[in-house]
Amino acid sequence: MSTLDDSAIIEIKDFKKNFKGVQAVNGISLEIKRGELFSILGPNGAGKTTLLRMLTGVLTPTSGDAIIKGHSILTGKKKIVKIIGVCPQDITIYEVLRAEENVEFVANIHGIPRKEAKEKAKKLLEQFGIAGRKDWSKHFSGGMQRRLNLAMALVFEPEILFLDEPTAGLDPQARRLVWDYILNLKNKGLTILLMTHDMVEADSLSDQIAIIDHGKVIVQGTPTELKEKYGSDNILEISFCEQQDLEMVKNNIREISFVRTWKEINTNGRNTLLIAFQGGLKSLVKIIQKGLLESIGEIENMKFRQNSLEDVFLNLTGRRLRD
Amino acid sequence: MNIATNKAVLISIKNLKDKLRHWQYLFFSLIFPIMFTLMFYFIFGHEQDPTGRTYFDYGFPGMIIYAIGIGTMNAAIMFANEKSSGMLTRLDTMPTGRKNLFLGALISESLFLMLQIIIMFIIGYGFLGLYYEGPLELIFGFLIAVLFGISSVGMGIIIASVSKNVQVATAFSLLVFMILIFLSGSLMPFESSIVYFTPPYWAKQIYLQLTVLGHGLTDNLYSSSLIGAGAESIPITLLGGLLIIFIYTIVFILLGILIFQRKTKF
Repeated sequence: MSTLDDSAIIEIKDFKKNFKGVQAVNGISLEIKRGELFSILGPNGAGKTTLLRMLTGVLTPTSGDAIIKGHSILTGKKKIVKIIGVCPQDITIYEVLRAEENVEFVANIHGIPRKEAKEKAKKLLEQFGIAGRKDWSKHFSGGMQRRLNLAMALVFEPEILFLDEPTAGLDPQARRLVWDYILNLKNKGLTILLMTHDMVEADSLSDQIAIIDHGKVIVQGTPTELKEKYGSDNILEISFCEQQDLEMVKNNIREISFVRTWKEINTNGRNTLLIAFQGGLKSLVKIIQKGLLESIGEIENMKFRQNSLEDVFLNLTGRRLRD
Repeated sequence: MNIATNKAVLISIKNLKDKLRHWQYLFFSLIFPIMFTLMFYFIFGHEQDPTGRTYFDYGFPGMIIYAIGIGTMNAAIMFANEKSSGMLTRLDTMPTGRKNLFLGALISESLFLMLQIIIMFIIGYGFLGLYYEGPLELIFGFLIAVLFGISSVGMGIIIASVSKNVQVATAFSLLVFMILIFLSGSLMPFESSIVYFTPPYWAKQIYLQLTVLGHGLTDNLYSSSLIGAGAESIPITLLGGLLIIFIYTIVFILLGILIFQRKTKF
């Protein structure tokens, strides 16, 4: 069960970082609540990793401060590093140590006694599907190394977890495994700050999202809020076998309030109708019920493209996230 | 001492595992000096001087200093690797502390140096039967070699600080190490006052005079002059020479830590 409450565990106050004239982070202020999974979504070079490095004490901000569980990163770094787990973007493991040795090393560094560290490492690696490997970590597949990378950040049960692109380069199956694990951690009440450029990842995991670009927060909200406020319409594309069916549907959807517009096109000789509408999946079901099911014969093809965070970013910046 | 919570010890254990599992480290630190020693022995190990000692008896201290000086490369590679692999940054996000990182490196390097010296002693004094004054002198020689090895670690840290990656650190440290070894006259005589500016000269000369020439540990330590580059006596005693190595070691270590911190803290 989530332990989300109203108290901010991380307060970022007007963070700035300048690298020899390049403003990597340009006045970011955010509040992250206890137990929240907060994503920072932005394209490569937006300032995500710099922000993370400042929050974890690796980089000193040019100006501004962040308070993590009551400690300033400028003066309380020693206390902060005891409660945070950091999973860096690049796989950062000791390649000639075994998986257990890597995880136990981190546990020991956090003051966990040797025997307990061994047990924790074993349990955690079992959950990640890499327990019992006796070979050195450099022989692991990319996915296994990435899971080990994450396990090293979790073994001492941190209160706050910083994840920098945790699923970069993973295959869909491994990615799903990591997502499930992150959601499980969130449900246990862990506060998670996720840096990602993957909109699907941010959309499916986050309580709150801040979209950043050029070192600045351009918008913040829940995934639904952002998509409703700044996104595009959902599009339902239906290809009909008979033109009369298309006409019938056109007439039916006129009466549906959340249908904004529709357009008839001909694709490869097929009669196709594009319907733009607002709202989520509930609206889609209503269109199908009212517009299609009661009146028509056969449908040749149907596609649905949901309004996404990609649309939000595109509408706010005029660029795609991947550009 | 609680071993699980002493972070410097944890780091040193990790470093040692890392070293012992890299065949390149093992080859250059342990095997290569042995090969070099045996090669020199077969070339110079049979011609005797009027005292009955072979030229190799006099040359072996230089071989030991050569073997220990490889610590420069080892330390440079280790620190450059921590830096470029991102592990240093990751450790900075943990309650490690740079102090423990350096201390851990010094412990692991010192232990590894001791292993190197012991192997060289076994080869030289055990198998090849080279001359030494007595066990006490040999123990003292051992300590001098360790002290010189620690100064080499300091130099390795400096090199790692200014190197962009492991490859650059490896090449740069090899270059510095070979130049220093030859300029010091440790492997072959070099009649130039340049030798006095190189740490290996002092280490090799004190080791040689104590363990082979018999300038013993008692009053001689305060009264015996060191033999200079041109085989003449110089106005520095063995103790003075020891002080110079000690100062070199302290300066290199402190300088190494200072430069490394400056280059890796933003």
